[in-house]
Amino acid sequence: MQLRDFFSTDAIALDLTTETKDETLRTLVGLFHLDEKSEGILFKMLKRRENLGSTGIGRGIAIPHCRSLVVNRLRVAFGRHTPGLDFKAIDEKPVHYIFLIVAPPLEVSNQYLPVLGKIAQFSKEPDVPEQLAAVTKPEEFLQLLEMKGV
Amino acid sequence: MHEELETLLEMQDLHMQLRALEEGEVRDLESGLFDMGIEEALETLDQKILELQGRLEPRVQDRYRRLISAGNRAVVPVLGGVCYGCFVAVPTSWAAEADPNDKLNVCQNCGRFHYYPT
Repeated sequence: MQLRDFFSTDAIALDLTTETKDETLRTLVGLFHLDEKSEGILFKMLKRRENLGSTGIGRGIAIPHCRSLVVNRLRVAFGRHTPGLDFKAIDEKPVHYIFLIVAPPLEVSNQYLPVLGKIAQFSKEPDVPEQLAAVTKPEEFLQLLEMKGV
Repeated sequence: MHEELETLLEMQDLHMQLRALEEGEVRDLESGLFDMGIEEALETLDQKILELQGRLEPRVQDRYRRLISAGNRAVVPVLGGVCYGCFVAVPTSWAAEADPNDKLNVCQNCGRFHYYPT
């Protein structure tokens, strides 16, 4: 399983200009092109998850995630916010890189947790924040995932 | 989307979250990677589910509770005209409606609530 196989270039936003965590989550959910109601439900679930504890894991990275019936397969998106957002991260520092993962309650191949684990593994590599900052187009982001062998 | 269906979807997602947090793998990930306080999270989820339950008609509440307490999913998707709770075909007229999620449809075979993903 390769992480890059789960990302599509239209679900990668490298120039987020949102002002709040909520606005950012809504924007990233919007990359999945669901109907308005489904987007609302998904946003609500992600918010609920955030209320149980921030998904900002430190070093400028956050991994919001949830399962919901409104998606029929695992979906992932990536957003980069250069100025940085208050995400109530563990290290209390601004978040610049957001990996969004959503999956239906049941998946045939059960990829949700492995994908979450791989993104966490990728995020822990020392040079990843720096390399994510240097990416100029979605294809380069995919190449970075491939290069890191995740 | 039917208001009660929206509530049911939310309740089921929360139930799934709650069940997952009671299991080893998710519990370890959430507490280890995300530093989540598990016991507090379980309590918060429980309370929210109860609050949402209050928004449902008593007969819908009963059905939901019955299905969930039997360890089943109460709301299941209909994909390709098939109920993903019991894998029996649903009446084609349901899916043919402009937005089948505008009604609260129940599977005639297994009794689960139906959701039509977009």
